[in-house]
Amino acid sequence: MKKWFVLHRKEWLEMTLNYKIIWIPLIFVLFGLMQPITSYYMPEILKNASNLPEGSIIQIPMPTSGEVLTQTMGQFNQIGVLVLVLAFMGIVSSERRSGMIKAILVKPVSYPSYITSKWMSVVLLSAGSVFLGMLASWYYTVLLIGDFPFIDMVKGTLIYFIWILFIVTFTVFLSSFLKSSGFVAAFTLVLSILLSLLTSLFEKWMEWSPAQLTNAAASLFMAGDIEGPLLLPLITTVILTALFLYLATSRKSSV
Amino acid sequence: MNFNFEINWALLAPLIVIQAILLIIALFDLVKTEKTNGPKWMWVLIVLLIATFGPILYFVIGKKRD
Amino acid sequence: MEVQSLTKSFGKHVAVNDLSFSIEEGHCVALLGANGAGKTTTLEMLASLQKPTKGSVSFLGVEKKDFREDIGYLPQYPVFFSWMNAMEYLVLMGELSGMSKAKAMARADELLELLGIADAKKRKIGGFSGGMKQRLGIAQALIHEPKLLMLDEPVSALDPVGRREILELMKLLKETTTILFSTHILHDAEEVCDDVIMIHKGELAVSGSLSELRRKHQEDVIVIAADENLDAWAGSIESWDVVSKVISANDKVEIYVKSVAEARTQLLAEINEKQLPITSFTVGQTSLEGLFMEVVGR
Repeated sequence: MKKWFVLHRKEWLEMTLNYKIIWIPLIFVLFGLMQPITSYYMPEILKNASNLPEGSIIQIPMPTSGEVLTQTMGQFNQIGVLVLVLAFMGIVSSERRSGMIKAILVKPVSYPSYITSKWMSVVLLSAGSVFLGMLASWYYTVLLIGDFPFIDMVKGTLIYFIWILFIVTFTVFLSSFLKSSGFVAAFTLVLSILLSLLTSLFEKWMEWSPAQLTNAAASLFMAGDIEGPLLLPLITTVILTALFLYLATSRKSSV
Repeated sequence: MNFNFEINWALLAPLIVIQAILLIIALFDLVKTEKTNGPKWMWVLIVLLIATFGPILYFVIGKKRD
Repeated sequence: MEVQSLTKSFGKHVAVNDLSFSIEEGHCVALLGANGAGKTTTLEMLASLQKPTKGSVSFLGVEKKDFREDIGYLPQYPVFFSWMNAMEYLVLMGELSGMSKAKAMARADELLELLGIADAKKRKIGGFSGGMKQRLGIAQALIHEPKLLMLDEPVSALDPVGRREILELMKLLKETTTILFSTHILHDAEEVCDDVIMIHKGELAVSGSLSELRRKHQEDVIVIAADENLDAWAGSIESWDVVSKVISANDKVEIYVKSVAEARTQLLAEINEKQLPITSFTVGQTSLEGLFMEVVGR
């Protein structure tokens, strides 16, 4: 266990030195802040941008707080997921390619602890980024748009994060199997887009889909209550995440 | 196009600060790093000229991993 | 260390086939073979970096799958975290071996001193030269005081100066540690080692102590050079009892003999009698190079 922490600490040191520890959370906070601000200024911007004759009145309904938070989550699902996947695609594969993995495994360190120490650092940094981003978004939304219960924001973010957990675990899993970081990113992004797309197209058959978690969080934000499936996607996602993590740690025939 | 509504700069300050931090870290890293994917000067231009996304692009695809 | 019928196959290709050998404590052993003979695969299996397809390894009488606690290994192309300094790297490797931070630091200091890179201890590894990296690699392998030090081609990537330094270092280390190192250069093996294990195409060819191999495989040879081609004459002496083999090329004849003294007398008499126009007459011994070439060339 002590060796696991040594490896884990090495990951954090590396993420500090290549500034991942700063820029990944900052990007989430940036996009978290941007959403309520654009919503707030949108009517003004539109009014100024369109050349309407003086005196005409345009009515643009201000979105509700819940809608703004849902939009933030949508942003995170696109740019956020893209950033996380690209940032962590090489977490194992680049060390395998460079031979660094050998330098570590010549010491009496188990392969599962090597992988899980990396996975944990990815999960913690992703969690921190998503929560900080949502917190920032919530704060500005309350300030500019209207009140929203803090506890609901936390609950929704927790549900949404399980989906992110699934995505980053899949990234680590592919990274431990493929040599090319590019393929890792491509396959993970295709999976995430495909799952989201199929889930919205065939809602009936995709109730189990991990992407349903985003819908559940959205309904919590907008209606204050979760409509639709939650338990089923939660269970499948947790099982799939555990499975991919297990598979990631099980390859050791040659390094 | 002219904006004739009040912009609350205090509100926007965090956005500007975050963008500035991203820009500075990206430039600092660019100076320190030996190799990038593609020419260095190109990345300097990208980081400086493309707001918000320039530094992000540099971090995710510009850095060469060793 | 006892290695029993170690085998590794990748699909149809057999990289190491039924390899058995033993390493005695305190000895320095060279694993000798041409490129692609299976040296690295063998070492990586011993270091638990690859799983053997078949076979077993026992260490000090204990059979296990994982000997990383007892083995220090330097890969052929060692890589380091270039953003770490030498000290940080060694402490990390020490801690990964289960040492406490304080103990790892003390040991790292000691090793950096021993390997002559103490003044570079706070420098980033990214700026190290090939020889320094190799030293750091050896330090890394020694950090947890392993019972066996394994080095994969430790000198082949180095320039002559670096090569000399590492060989001298190995001579120093073999006083205190059991060493197994792979090389494709016989000369390096002869210089630092007691024992050699020659492998060819994944199979054991010859193994034993160098002195024993010399005794067994070294032959006395008399080389005669002359002004004219001696092919015809060379053919005529092949049937002599004292001669085992004759190789004639251009103006030179190599005569492998069973007894130097006897052959010398007979040959000199013959030369005198036939008035052969010789320019030199040399008595010597074949080097192990011949044996090595024979093994590798098979």
